[in-house]
Amino acid sequence: MNRREFIAKSAAAAALGAPFSAKHNLWAQASADVHLEIAPLKLEIAPGKHVETIACNGQVPGPLIRWPEGNPITIDVVNRTNIPEIVHWHGLWIPSDQDGAMEEGSPMIAPGTQQRYQFTPQPSGLRWYHTHTTAGHDLKRGLYTGQFGCFYIEPKDERGAYDQEIFLTLHDWNAYMGAATDASMDASYDYSTINDRMLGHGAPIQVKQNQRVVFRIVNASATVTHWLGLAGHEMTVVAMDGNPVPIPASITALRVAPAERADLVVKMTNPGVWILGETRDDIRKAGMGIVIEYAGCQGEPKWIDPPEVLWSYRPFAHPESVTVQPDHQVPLLFESKFRGHGDFDYWTINGKSYPETDTVML
Amino acid sequence: MIGSLCSCIANAQDNYEIQVYGADTVAPKTTMLELHSNFTADGTKPLPGSKYAADRLYPTNHAEHETVEITQGINNWSEVGFYIFTSARNGDGWQWVGDHIRPRVRVPDSWHWPLGVSLSTEVGYQGRQFSTDTWTWEIRPIVDKTRGRWYFAVNPALERSFHGQTVNQGVGFSPNAKVSFDFNKCISGGLEYYADYGSLRGFESLHNQQQQFFPAVDLNVSPNWEINFGVGVGPTAATDHLIVKGIVGRRFDWTHHRAGSSGSIQ
Repeated sequence: MNRREFIAKSAAAAALGAPFSAKHNLWAQASADVHLEIAPLKLEIAPGKHVETIACNGQVPGPLIRWPEGNPITIDVVNRTNIPEIVHWHGLWIPSDQDGAMEEGSPMIAPGTQQRYQFTPQPSGLRWYHTHTTAGHDLKRGLYTGQFGCFYIEPKDERGAYDQEIFLTLHDWNAYMGAATDASMDASYDYSTINDRMLGHGAPIQVKQNQRVVFRIVNASATVTHWLGLAGHEMTVVAMDGNPVPIPASITALRVAPAERADLVVKMTNPGVWILGETRDDIRKAGMGIVIEYAGCQGEPKWIDPPEVLWSYRPFAHPESVTVQPDHQVPLLFESKFRGHGDFDYWTINGKSYPETDTVML
Repeated sequence: MIGSLCSCIANAQDNYEIQVYGADTVAPKTTMLELHSNFTADGTKPLPGSKYAADRLYPTNHAEHETVEITQGINNWSEVGFYIFTSARNGDGWQWVGDHIRPRVRVPDSWHWPLGVSLSTEVGYQGRQFSTDTWTWEIRPIVDKTRGRWYFAVNPALERSFHGQTVNQGVGFSPNAKVSFDFNKCISGGLEYYADYGSLRGFESLHNQQQQFFPAVDLNVSPNWEINFGVGVGPTAATDHLIVKGIVGRRFDWTHHRAGSSGSIQ
């Protein structure tokens, strides 16, 4: 998303986040704060290069939902596909029947019908929403599609120690399984994008020298753990999974697993035209990257390999260890059973595979 | 597998690299180094009063064949392999046999084919005392598929001699095939089949064809290692009757990226 797109989407989000009023007490009758429409989409990720997918409101990612912490929200979701769908509000503390996880009691949305979700988003920080349908062997469903978007819950004490805010979603497209060998058990992809465009085919992110830019990053890939670097710059991790880290720390490359989020602050001190992208050449060349352009600078975007990094969360943690005694201990033994180099392992928790697994009672 | 000539015609020694190819290629910036060790427990024997077997070839009986195979990945759909064939036999010492080069291409994953498919071509030289045909060429289609615990591979290879006894025989047909089953994550076992039917102009009688069956075991101990053992039985007259084979391969990744790092694809 570039600055113009961000401003446009922020304006839309501001409308979504209009001052809370008494009309919210009339949810059943009143229109919702947010409307999402799930429907098939032919998405152009580069000139002449399209992917057939499913998305929310005809865009990838879906609209940014920006909402003040502690305020109730009403979201209507219409399913315009021909299969049952559902939207999961990822990372939120909300009742299970509103959470959008069918395994936990939220209803599926039948084709052609609408579902209303009502909850008070919390905690604050970068959350996201996405389909919770199970893809199984159909790599055109579930999180292999473009059904996701950012959900930012503004903290009450947002300090805003940045000049510009950019939301970025990572996604891989056209998943397939190889024909032979163990590698065929990992999905491979034809294309990768940041937001909806392949590297070099979207508008650049415009920045100014000495700006502090916060990048709010969601890995919306179905299966790929991504590594990101910003050529010519270091990045400071200020939050992981939407939660402020105890000790912000500088990194040269970010590892972000599927569904994981990271908030990075970058001070723009190196004028030029740079690439924020995957550190691995093959994935970056498949499209995972976006151009960062300083005001007044032009030219070919530059990529510089960051030093090789082995990821650790420890630099962001309190140096002293903390011992907390849990109220309950729930033993969960995860095991996999080999079913051949041409099949997926059979996974169990305490000897049972979902949905036969035992319910954990607290 | 090196270009075996129709054994029924040339009685060629093709037991230097005994392997049914899978369709996958070595990854770019990666080298595969393999040692093929084959011992012929019951093979051709010297003719009376001679150190040679028929066609003035060295006997294969009790010969130890050591082949070094070096394969370099070019990109994610091609590789080039190079072979050094050697033979050791009591009384003859350790001898260089010949060399082959083998470029190979495969259908890229991005084509989304349901089967692994590749095409290998191999050309090279073997000394006259080891093969009645010295310069040979082979083209080998490769099709394979892994399904659950089962693995299937077929290599319907075609061969041609450019210099030697069967140069006028045209193209020969030498199919190979493999079926194996994963007993567990590390051990797979199955049957490998190697044959040389003779010229496409007219197959030889079964008696004169080369037919070998290898019960074989693959050990999948590490992605960087390839280990295969087998014992082959050749029931026809034109085939070495008993061969013990072993393959040990080591993959070298020259990218120097640590697994799980920001530069690694693993």
